[in-house]
Amino acid sequence: MASRGVLSRANRIKSRLQSALQPTIIEVEDVSHQHAGHAAVRETGNNETHFNVKVVSSKFDGHNLVKRHRMVYDLLSDELQSGLHALSIVAKTPKEHGL
Amino acid sequence: MIKFLLIQQHQFTLHHFIFCLPSMATFNMSFLTQPHSSLPNFPNFSSQNTPSFSSYSLPKTSLIFPSFTVRPQNGTITRRIVVVAALKKLSETDPLTVPVQPNEISARFPNESGVYAVYDSNGDLQFVGISRNIAASVVSHKNSVPQFCSSVKVGVVDEPNRTALTESWKSWMEEHIATSGKVPPGNEPGNSTWVRQPPKKKADLRLTPGRHVQLTVPLEDLIDRLVKENKVVAFIKGSRSAPQCGFSQRVVGILESEGVDYESVDVLDEEYNAGLRETLKNYSNWPTFPQIFVKGELVGGCDILTSMYEKGELASLFKS
Repeated sequence: MASRGVLSRANRIKSRLQSALQPTIIEVEDVSHQHAGHAAVRETGNNETHFNVKVVSSKFDGHNLVKRHRMVYDLLSDELQSGLHALSIVAKTPKEHGL
Repeated sequence: MIKFLLIQQHQFTLHHFIFCLPSMATFNMSFLTQPHSSLPNFPNFSSQNTPSFSSYSLPKTSLIFPSFTVRPQNGTITRRIVVVAALKKLSETDPLTVPVQPNEISARFPNESGVYAVYDSNGDLQFVGISRNIAASVVSHKNSVPQFCSSVKVGVVDEPNRTALTESWKSWMEEHIATSGKVPPGNEPGNSTWVRQPPKKKADLRLTPGRHVQLTVPLEDLIDRLVKENKVVAFIKGSRSAPQCGFSQRVVGILESEGVDYESVDVLDEEYNAGLRETLKNYSNWPTFPQIFVKGELVGGCDILTSMYEKGELASLFKS
């Protein structure tokens, strides 16, 4: 994989979101194994394809869910173009998260 | 009142129908007749013809047996509990005239579970059904097919479990078939007069006439038109009847459970939607699938739809 560096994709996702969104909570979980039989996964031979991402950030304030998800997707566009197949995103503000 | 007795069965004589139901409300009949089967050979279903009983659904009131399968049994089981209907015979049950007003129907017929037989004005049996609320079923039939609902015979089942209801229905059907040689028209295969057919699934929409046909407008314009001309559109992986991805499957499930009239487009269909995935990602500025549009606006993917569903926000979204 051309874009795969030393870090795992999970770590790259985490640091990218960390620096851009300054989240109070960030969780990145690699769930690719749950999708091992998935056609798109089989084709590419890629094993870092599906992630659960939870971000609590005040930068989401005033943005609806579509906008928040787009913010996350935009930050991860490099990953999405290099084999990241699906993200399950939870994007909340600290207030919504009860912080 | 009809009594169902639970008895321990060692010797039993029964005619058995097997209703193989490829889909709800259509059935082929084959008789398995066991005039005097000895000892515990009841019910001796042939193995290649595993019976599954299914029943008839009426709006709201009637009983649904999605797929009630009776497993073939062999002779090694000594204790056998069988529900026997000490059911008044169909011929011995007095018909009740169906009044015109629904409230009079409710007053005349029991709102309990049981079997019922509907007769037309010539006294011909049209349909035998079972219901959890006989009065409501009669009201419903009177509404939908008044020309066939002149009188109704009713057999209330006191302990209306599935087996008891099925057995009571079978015994009336058997009796009628034995005397008339015919299945009531409403119970014939493919007759959809009395029972609600399962709604047909819509076909997935196709964006293009085929991959080898030169498009005269950009694909992006086709997408734009599609999402603006249809209130709810789901771009999914696979067809709506067989989604190829768990997230698409969940989206289809949510839309179906909300009863939404939606259109679906299979982004994996390379014949009729070639190039759709990349074009749609750019159009919607959204990199993954599924994608759900309402009135031309992207609502989001599976996560957002699920979260709105869980918060109960979807009804207003689809209604407005």
